[in-house]
Amino acid sequence: MSDTILKADGLKKHFHLGGGFMAETKVVRAVDGVSIEVRRGETFAIVGESGCGKSTLARLLMRLLEPTDGAIEFEERDIAGIRGRDLRELRRDMQFVFQDPFSSLNPRMSVGKLVGEPIETHRPELSRAQRRQEVARLLNIVGLRPEHADRYPHEFSGGQRQRIGIARALASNPRLVIGDEPVSALDVSVQAQVVNLLHDLKSKLDMTLVIIAHDLAVIRHMSDRVAVMYLGQVVESGPTDEIFANPRHPYTMALLSAIPEAAHGRARTRLALSGETPSPAAPPSGCRFHTRCPFAREDCATRIPELGPATTESRVACHYWQDIAADRPAAGLTPAAGRSEGAQRRFALYEAATQATTPNPKTAANAEA
Amino acid sequence: MDSPLLQVENLKFRFRGQPQDVVEGISFRVGRNETLCIVGESGCGKSVTALALMGLLPRDSVRFGSGEIRFDGDSFTPSDHDRIAAMRGDRMAMIFQEPMTSLNPAFRIGDQIAEAVEQHRKCGKAKARERAVEMLRRVGIPAPEQRMNEYPHQLSGGMRQRVMIAMALANDPELLIADEPTTALDVTVQAQILDLIAELQAETGMGTIMITHDLGVVAEIATDVAVMYAGQVVEYGPAEAIFNDPQHPYTIGLMASVPTLTGPRRRLSTVPGSVPSIGQMPEGCRFSSRCPFAAPVCASRPELAEVAPGHRAACHFAPLDQTLERRA
Repeated sequence: MSDTILKADGLKKHFHLGGGFMAETKVVRAVDGVSIEVRRGETFAIVGESGCGKSTLARLLMRLLEPTDGAIEFEERDIAGIRGRDLRELRRDMQFVFQDPFSSLNPRMSVGKLVGEPIETHRPELSRAQRRQEVARLLNIVGLRPEHADRYPHEFSGGQRQRIGIARALASNPRLVIGDEPVSALDVSVQAQVVNLLHDLKSKLDMTLVIIAHDLAVIRHMSDRVAVMYLGQVVESGPTDEIFANPRHPYTMALLSAIPEAAHGRARTRLALSGETPSPAAPPSGCRFHTRCPFAREDCATRIPELGPATTESRVACHYWQDIAADRPAAGLTPAAGRSEGAQRRFALYEAATQATTPNPKTAANAEA
Repeated sequence: MDSPLLQVENLKFRFRGQPQDVVEGISFRVGRNETLCIVGESGCGKSVTALALMGLLPRDSVRFGSGEIRFDGDSFTPSDHDRIAAMRGDRMAMIFQEPMTSLNPAFRIGDQIAEAVEQHRKCGKAKARERAVEMLRRVGIPAPEQRMNEYPHQLSGGMRQRVMIAMALANDPELLIADEPTTALDVTVQAQILDLIAELQAETGMGTIMITHDLGVVAEIATDVAVMYAGQVVEYGPAEAIFNDPQHPYTIGLMASVPTLTGPRRRLSTVPGSVPSIGQMPEGCRFSSRCPFAAPVCASRPELAEVAPGHRAACHFAPLDQTLERRA
């Protein structure tokens, strides 16, 4: 079996806006020539700010949208134009976790029905009793109790609802799960629970994860490789550790340096960006980032940079990344000054105490399976 | 000792029909040129606290149990709506999380800012408009004369938040309350807005209360921090003490569950469970139902007691290290 589970090549999605009588149609180039490769068993992250096209890209990969141009291959099969039964089969192997656990669950369906529905669709061979058993098993895996099956979504907190969404996605035994901002609607302490859950499930169920997010710290904790998007295009991609330690594209640098970090007294060298992201309906010529780039030169406005190799593993779309790197040897984040000893010790105490008081969800789920 | 700009003592209130207080006896203070960050997760009462200070809670549904507000030497109760209304928008101003819903979509932004000026300064229309242009320029909006005539939907999220700030600061308030002003914005724009607020604060010397759930923002701007959980202040002190010497188990759990950008990638700590809803709060320490260190004594409410000068924690086991070592 090939190493690559999902591959996109020159993927484009253009939306047409307006175009009433005598009016001009505007073309929004939401995704404009994206090529990525997701390897089997890894967590691949797509990161960018609002309007960069990351959610559209996720929907294209899922085939919830049909691409305007370009190819998508899932397990070496072209899925860009499939319909009907083929598409239904694809949905079994590839599932989606949505951002908002409040609007993505039908409030009139009990949790048992919500999780049972995809089982009914994708595994019709199961009897009703088997299905109920399967629902209980799935709820257990995601850290809920089997008796929750009789309750309705409004009875649950945000974190628990997201767990229901995950159980639903796992119901068809998918090989690939795409999460569109799966934790961004949650409070930090609950967010950590879901991040850990996804991590455990991935290794336990032998899945590949694609995570779309705007929060770089979450991405760093979850992903093996990352692609950074700006205005519908990938500007940099590569192993997560490498990108965070040594960002090459000026946009990645700015993005990393703009994040306030939760540690006191860190001296900050911020690479400030002026202005805001231009509209994808009228992207700038040449390099799309040149209007905000502090390193832009004259020809950046006319020459379009290719996403080319920077090292064997990583790629960057900037004409001058080598020059920029030479001028700014420490473009990455300065290594953490670290938390104080007192805080560090207390984190350890806390961690030990939580481990001792809560039953390990992993072993509980294993016992059931 | 000189008096702080704002001092709030034992603020306590509930909404009609609720069996428990939504904010249960909290106290804090803000000095001129200082930034107090109130940090906590959804439902901890941080936003209603701000609304109570601004007198913006619906009068007939809120019941104040106790509370005293001292603002620049004047003392009044939170139910003294007329006193608060006279100061609101003038001596104290507020900016909100979602600038789209807090600007009126049917009016030009220039008119909205000018209205706030006219209301309090009793100056003429022309003067008020002049002030509006000046404020828009000050918050970094290019071509303010033209922008004055635009409607909120014509602006981007970051620009709208700038307009909100211009409006809030138009009357030179002494106190600015900002409720999650950057949560709806992208990080690169958030950085611009935080810089802008800091700049304006340095210029005017106003005191700021920043309400946020983002510990990164807190670390960046706070002078003092109040950590809230379920309507109680669980830890309070100078920012450095909170980050380098956290004492309350909730503060510790919260910090440990934030993913970091540097350092080793480790499994995240979590705070087990979720916040109980009003009516189901445990008696005494409200965090006890989720606290890994909880013991029978936690059924009585711990006092917000000093653990170091200016640094207070509401936990029976603070200072935590000694207690735990003794227990082990």
